[in-house]
Amino acid sequence: MNAQMASLHDFRNTLHGLGDNLGIEDMPDEERVSRAKKTFLRKLDGRKAVDLDTCLQCGMCAEACHFFEATQDERYSPVYKFRPLRRFYRREMSPMRWLYRPFTRDIGVEDFEEWQHLVYDACTGCGRCDMMCPMGINISTLIRVMREGLAAAGYMPPELQALRNEQRDQNTLFGVGKEQLKALVDKLRTENVNVPLDREQADVMLLTTAVEVSLFPDALAASARILNKTGVDWTIRSNAFEAANVGLISGDDPTLNLAIKRIVEEAKSCGVKTLLLPESGHAYQAMRWEAANEMGEALSFDVLSMPEYMSSEIQAGRIKLKAQSNGASVTYHDPCRLSRKSGVMQQPRDVLAALGLDIRETDANGRENYCCGGGCGEYVLKSATSLRQKAFEIKRREFDETGADAVVTGCANCRINLLIGADNSGWQTPVKSLVETVAASLAD
Amino acid sequence: MTLLEFASGPALQWSLWIFVFGVTWRIVGAVFLMAKKDLSRARHKKNLSDGVRTMLSRSIPAHAFEKRIRFQHISGYAWHLALFVSVLFFAPHILFFESLLGFSWPHLPNTIILFTAAIATGVLIALLIRRATHHVQRFISNADDYISIVVVLVPLITGILAFAHIGGRYETLLAIHLLSVEAMFIWFPFGKLMHTAMTFPSRYQAGTSFGRRGVKA
Repeated sequence: MNAQMASLHDFRNTLHGLGDNLGIEDMPDEERVSRAKKTFLRKLDGRKAVDLDTCLQCGMCAEACHFFEATQDERYSPVYKFRPLRRFYRREMSPMRWLYRPFTRDIGVEDFEEWQHLVYDACTGCGRCDMMCPMGINISTLIRVMREGLAAAGYMPPELQALRNEQRDQNTLFGVGKEQLKALVDKLRTENVNVPLDREQADVMLLTTAVEVSLFPDALAASARILNKTGVDWTIRSNAFEAANVGLISGDDPTLNLAIKRIVEEAKSCGVKTLLLPESGHAYQAMRWEAANEMGEALSFDVLSMPEYMSSEIQAGRIKLKAQSNGASVTYHDPCRLSRKSGVMQQPRDVLAALGLDIRETDANGRENYCCGGGCGEYVLKSATSLRQKAFEIKRREFDETGADAVVTGCANCRINLLIGADNSGWQTPVKSLVETVAASLAD
Repeated sequence: MTLLEFASGPALQWSLWIFVFGVTWRIVGAVFLMAKKDLSRARHKKNLSDGVRTMLSRSIPAHAFEKRIRFQHISGYAWHLALFVSVLFFAPHILFFESLLGFSWPHLPNTIILFTAAIATGVLIALLIRRATHHVQRFISNADDYISIVVVLVPLITGILAFAHIGGRYETLLAIHLLSVEAMFIWFPFGKLMHTAMTFPSRYQAGTSFGRRGVKA
């Protein structure tokens, strides 16, 4: 067993006990319904109303969903996953509510019980259905509102509750806080990798994640080596280093806002010009697209992902690479929230091309890419274990068809899920990080 | 007042009023919910072209999806094209539209219209059967899905019967055809036939929201 798989097993052991002391949050049923309705009311706007009013119920979205494809279970049709939200809209908000109300059942606790599985276990919010819908409906956004409604009603799965509580109350994740980060930074220093921690002012503020610190420290080391190579003035701030946002993936708005606020305030106090996100799709989504709206004002700095940063630095000649000449082939796994939801698709491919690698695309790639099966926090959910593995098998088939020597991805959570899938099924193809791949080929 | 006089007089007038008022009410009602301004920095700022591109591009499924939805894709085109030709290029229909709009356009020969109406009817019946039997469609369907198919199917069938003079006096068949069309006008704003008015706005907003993130949706 190599060191990475040993670390993965340790990490999986951590996941086993996550949330074991938690269950459905305690509150009266009326309170649950009231909270869900208030959330739906707050989240439904004109755009979502147009989407809800346009849906033909054609069911084509099912064909885009990896969970439906893997199981053929009609409950996993994306259109069905937002059914209670649609009923709420028709009863309470639609211009035709006076007509629909007598014919439309009100939402209730029994809905929350059924839909907890459908929107947490059976949806990673990957948004592939958004690309399929002939009506142009943003289906994954509607399902996200369902998650938010269920979270408000106390139906967040225990594993996500545990992580949400930890991030909200202790500003740590998986037990990783500033002490663990400092310990890693000290260790990296002994390996001649300098991580400038807690500089008061810097042009670039790099975020990392608890997952990088505990499971993929090489990724943080790689980011540091790349940044040091460019000569940029950068730092990591131990008060706000965590890029992962459990609020976003669990549907808990206050935590989404809190985690964003910690980072934005820290970045402002450092006078940064660029906030640099590590390999995490959802973290990029939170900071690149949601932070300004959560803060109520435009951000005073740029937000970039590592693939974007590396691509522009290679282009500018500030990063020089030793091109590989051994004919090695790779396939790139697009993290959904970095690619389909954020437009970072060409940059990682440019980086891989600059390395001289033979890039072999999966049949579905870029905006049509299949999710790894464990996005949006799904990889921590014990109730989703079997479903997640079935979705992984779709990815595995696509990867195998390329015949590539390795899979490279730009998201640590995708990497974890692919490694777990590989571990479960004995799949041998290496799954690599893009930053680590680049750092391994930095020219002197 | 004969049945035909009723169908072509007050029934037509009222059904059109309900149609126009209902469609307007539903569109205005949804749009008036508004959406907050997005404060994030756009990657791509060509809102109009992004929106228009998606209005068109969603008519052709992407490669990765096409093979999985071939039946819906082909039947969708066959149904809509056959319906539009039958409705818009049948000589008596054009006379009707001229009485409403004040202008007309060339018509197609009756044999072609009969052919397209038969195609539209056949495809719609196939879609109805699929909705009732396909495990996903049957599971997700509600009354609106079936009513909306039936209120479009009946005018097609009554139109073909009136055209072919089958099943009764021509005046009676024509009156029934008109009444069935009026039933469709009345149902239109309340059910999913509204997609006719909502599809392009919905596609446009998908194009702009993904476009500002640099994704060609």
